[in-house]
Amino acid sequence: MSVTGVVVSSGIAFGQALHLNLHQQKIDYRLIPQSDIADEKKALEKAFNQQKLYLNQCLKQLEQESEHFELIEADLMILEDEDLVEEIADTISKLQISAAVAIERIFSHQASELAQLEDPYLANRAQDVLSLASRLIARLNGAQHLDLSQLKEDTIIFAHDLTPAEFAMLPRRHITGLVLETGGMTSHTAILARSAGIPALLSCQYDTAEIANGTEIVLDGMQGQVFIAPLTEVRNQLSELKRLDEQRKQQLLTLKDLPVQTLDGHQISLLANVGSLNEISHLADVGADGIGLFRTEFMLMNTQTLPDEKTQYHFYCDSLHLMAGKVFTIRTLDVGADKEIPCLPTIIEDNPALGLRGIRYSLANPELFKTQVKAILRAANHGPIRLMFPMINQIEELDVLFDYIEECKISLLDEEKGFGELSYGIVVETPAAVLNLESMLTRLDFISIGTNDLTQYTMAADRTNPALTGQYPSLSPAVLTLVNATITLAKKYNVSVSLCGELASDPKVAPLLVGMGIDELSVNPCALLEVKSALRNIQYQTCLAIAKHGLKLTRIEELNLYIYGQDK
Amino acid sequence: MHEKTVTITAKHGIHTRPAALLVKKAKSFDCDIIVECDGKQASAKSLFKLQTLGLNHGVTVKVIAKGEQAKQAIEEVSELLITLS
Repeated sequence: MSVTGVVVSSGIAFGQALHLNLHQQKIDYRLIPQSDIADEKKALEKAFNQQKLYLNQCLKQLEQESEHFELIEADLMILEDEDLVEEIADTISKLQISAAVAIERIFSHQASELAQLEDPYLANRAQDVLSLASRLIARLNGAQHLDLSQLKEDTIIFAHDLTPAEFAMLPRRHITGLVLETGGMTSHTAILARSAGIPALLSCQYDTAEIANGTEIVLDGMQGQVFIAPLTEVRNQLSELKRLDEQRKQQLLTLKDLPVQTLDGHQISLLANVGSLNEISHLADVGADGIGLFRTEFMLMNTQTLPDEKTQYHFYCDSLHLMAGKVFTIRTLDVGADKEIPCLPTIIEDNPALGLRGIRYSLANPELFKTQVKAILRAANHGPIRLMFPMINQIEELDVLFDYIEECKISLLDEEKGFGELSYGIVVETPAAVLNLESMLTRLDFISIGTNDLTQYTMAADRTNPALTGQYPSLSPAVLTLVNATITLAKKYNVSVSLCGELASDPKVAPLLVGMGIDELSVNPCALLEVKSALRNIQYQTCLAIAKHGLKLTRIEELNLYIYGQDK
Repeated sequence: MHEKTVTITAKHGIHTRPAALLVKKAKSFDCDIIVECDGKQASAKSLFKLQTLGLNHGVTVKVIAKGEQAKQAIEEVSELLITLS
């Protein structure tokens, strides 16, 4: 038996199924016979006890100061609330409903009462109460293994959804693959899975009941299929494919130290997109020419307190040291939308993607921005740094940012701290940025096109909405037209132009982008050698011809067929 | 039945940790202890219920106890409510 999904991180993985149903549990709402009531109450007590035991174990592993600690303690206090247990038990017998239904009923009621309170802290507790309920219901449904630190076997995770923070908490050593029910092509977890080299499928409609925990799974992250308890032939076939895939990776490694140039000698700078020191330290393995995008918000994802200027300064210095003089491009904090940062207050917005995100967040929180800029300016004293701003729409935003940067320099002078000059750029990722680009180019040293968001905003298609993944592929005539306009303008003003979206990581698309005149491609480290191989095996003249023809195509389907041939 | 009215002085109100301390204290008495705030009542022994009262800084609450030790319970619980920070 097999199910299909959208490949967001390729490769083949073998492992045992493990459901991480943190968010959704199926509940049977039917009334229960009188005779089951006693059993349901016993199950209720057992679920409470198991959860208490689990939370107590968690507490032992955590430090007292951590904010989690207090929240776990609060959950424990709730679980130890005898009145609550009594109320749930009474509800079970009075309404003749299962323990799960009773828990859902009482906890939801509680959550809605909490949500109405004016105090934002307590209003947030509403969400905690709901997650506690879902974990209790998971216990009632017999879900185990919530503690992943004990994992020993190779495991393929099945989940409805997984936030970047949850992904980051997974023990990488034993996680070989990831299958999610939700998610679009460029959601952040997908990006993380890809850079960790973990094969992952999204938008996969599997039936949880048919995949018990521990079932043998083969994830074919080439074709986008998950095989559940596969036949021996399938398994052998895929393990052969996996071998070939690994062999290919070995072959690619031989390209590591060779220059990135086409057969006829046209040179391209091939940089990497990274989010952590760990990733930077592995860049030498793939021979990257530098970093084209350093996502600094990732350093905030697993910390409970905001790193101060000194901490950030050391962090950037360490990164610079690892890069040893190569291109190093930092993007200022890009928070908001689908990126949740535990140490920053959560913003509730109707349309997060159209809300306070990217540079807008920095403009609304100037101190946060200035702390980061000061740390970066100081680090620039030790090596060249390019700084770019996300989600810029127009020149007024640059006016304010450059004023802030001047203030930072003055205050560093006052504090007698050394600093260096930076090169400045923007991420071109909204149609407005393309339309307003000419006015901004004179103030910039470089630009980087962020095609993921540019696609989302051009097509007005939410990139995390699984229902839209099919209709709005990353390659479309509209986006290509904007990319082309951007490159043409940048050339006119002699500003170097890079592309850091997922498109750049696609070896089939890279020649098209080079033909359009891109100077630099910034790609996922694990795709870097494939892209290099594609560029080293093509004539620049061919790239030009591909771009010329590609830009004439007016249909999404036509364009994708032209670039990918029959295989996509 | 005994009762006493106090004002919450804790800067951030009686939330998770302070509320947990309150529950612990209340549980040490063998009597019913009710906290009333803005017309809503909750058992002082139930963190789950207490949370929904919205015991913020500056709010006035009435503590009601009945049964054995009620008088002492009122004194100690009220004392805790005003000293919690």
